[in-house]
Amino acid sequence: MGTSSSNILEIKNIEVAYNKVILALHDVSLIVPKGKIVALLGANGAGKSTTLKSISTMLASERGEVTKGSINYDGFEIKKQTPSEMVKLGMVQVLEGRRCFGHLTVEENIIAGAYSRKLSRGDLNAEVEKIYNYFKRLKERRKSQAGFTSGGEQQMIAVARAMMAKPKMLLLDEPSMGLAPQLVAEIFHIVKDLNEKEGVSILLAEQNTNIALRNADYAYIIETGNVMLEGSAKSLLNNEKVKELYLGISKGKRLNFKDAIRDSQRKKTN
Amino acid sequence: MTESILFFFEVLVGGLLSGTMYSLVALGFVLIYKASATFNFAQGAMVFFAVLSFVGFMEYGMPFAVAFVATVFLMILVGMLTERLVLRPLMNQSEDTVLMATIGLGFVLEGLAQAKWGVEVRKLSLGIGDFPIPWIADNLKLFISALDLTAGLVALVMIVLLTLLFKFTKIGLGLRAVADDAGAASSIGIPLKHIMLLVWSAAGVVALVAGMMWGARAGVQFALIELALKALPVLIIGGFSSIPGAIVGGLLVGAVEKVLEVYIGPYFKGGIEAWAPYMLSILFLLYRPEGLFGEKIIRRV
Repeated sequence: MGTSSSNILEIKNIEVAYNKVILALHDVSLIVPKGKIVALLGANGAGKSTTLKSISTMLASERGEVTKGSINYDGFEIKKQTPSEMVKLGMVQVLEGRRCFGHLTVEENIIAGAYSRKLSRGDLNAEVEKIYNYFKRLKERRKSQAGFTSGGEQQMIAVARAMMAKPKMLLLDEPSMGLAPQLVAEIFHIVKDLNEKEGVSILLAEQNTNIALRNADYAYIIETGNVMLEGSAKSLLNNEKVKELYLGISKGKRLNFKDAIRDSQRKKTN
Repeated sequence: MTESILFFFEVLVGGLLSGTMYSLVALGFVLIYKASATFNFAQGAMVFFAVLSFVGFMEYGMPFAVAFVATVFLMILVGMLTERLVLRPLMNQSEDTVLMATIGLGFVLEGLAQAKWGVEVRKLSLGIGDFPIPWIADNLKLFISALDLTAGLVALVMIVLLTLLFKFTKIGLGLRAVADDAGAASSIGIPLKHIMLLVWSAAGVVALVAGMMWGARAGVQFALIELALKALPVLIIGGFSSIPGAIVGGLLVGAVEKVLEVYIGPYFKGGIEAWAPYMLSILFLLYRPEGLFGEKIIRRV
């Protein structure tokens, strides 16, 4: 916990409700220091996406609303901004499930990411080339329709597209979803690279606890809309509870599925 | 022999040119479909509303150009109100919901237009006659209506402009992005509000131009709304999301209905003009549902 000026994002005790009744977040507080990668871990429905959407203000279009608490980004409070205003302020979300523009070419997708910026054609081309340095695979496929590229390539397009908005902060929602382990590793490698070279701060929502903790600096674990546990990524990797519940390792050895179920049943009866 | 070939060409060219009128109406549908992925049932009403207002302004004594500009502004206002009162509250709702809303919007526009301007059929003179151009009739022995030819040229200009807009401008890229995935477009900072506003205003202006062409031929009247529904087979044939598709679809519908009417019509005691385009569109739905130029539906499996 540093002083507020060294943090790009500070969320204090937010509560989020959909349709004014369905409570998705009870009490979530978290901090993203400037230039760091912070992971937000948890199972399906824990509230990871909701947390990200309340930051990017994409919540409003899904009839969700922050009902308590505050979100401070880069020195001011996020209230009634629209997503496009947030993008102009340097906060960009990469939505869950990639969401490429399927009928646009790979390159058009990437260029669309710079929509909020006023760039000359020359500057734009230079930026696109710079992005291709991180995403070499995309350069080969620049003229293909994005809808016909592989899942891994689509995830890369989504991140590349977001980077074209020149974000100070990137919100990544489950970049590993549905991808082969090798591709996941490749994407996380690029994300880490972007973090180090471009200095972009990252809040990463993931179910893949292992790879997220290996790449993040700090992590929060949320369950049913509450922060249950937080700590440096290293400490959480070695935390017995995290190992057992999220990494599937118990007392140094890998749990098999049968044991895990027996374990959880025993816990319930206790 | 040459006589009958010449006659065939005359029928064909006449059909093609009247087809451009369908294309003009279809263009308005395509614009909205590209940005909202919705069939805008109100487009016919917009055509009616626009041209009726235009004629109304002229009756107030406005000169042609002033009335035209005034109507363009009126259609932009309609676009703004539609965005604010209909589309924005329905954001992130299913496409079907928006579709239903456009049906409602259509009734509102029809009602407003008639409440303000009355229900009688108006004449609209563009200073272009709906009769054969003498020079072409004399030299090529083809009878081609001046109005048809003008409509064709106007349609051509609109297509070129809109295609350039979609393909080569930033706002065009934004439009196509929103059409693919509005949520993702908004996540990277494309302001949906502006895009919707632009598209609906553009569709309004296209509706005005289409209405003027049709109004000059058939009179400014309520039946224009039904005429606009001819755009449906045009869109099925051309593809809902394609500007060139709207044009080719319109030409095809125009040509097919005229040629069939003249050559096959007599066996059915005439009147097949009214349903031939729909038959053709059923064939397309069966064998090429995305239309000639429509975007193929991309689905990962």
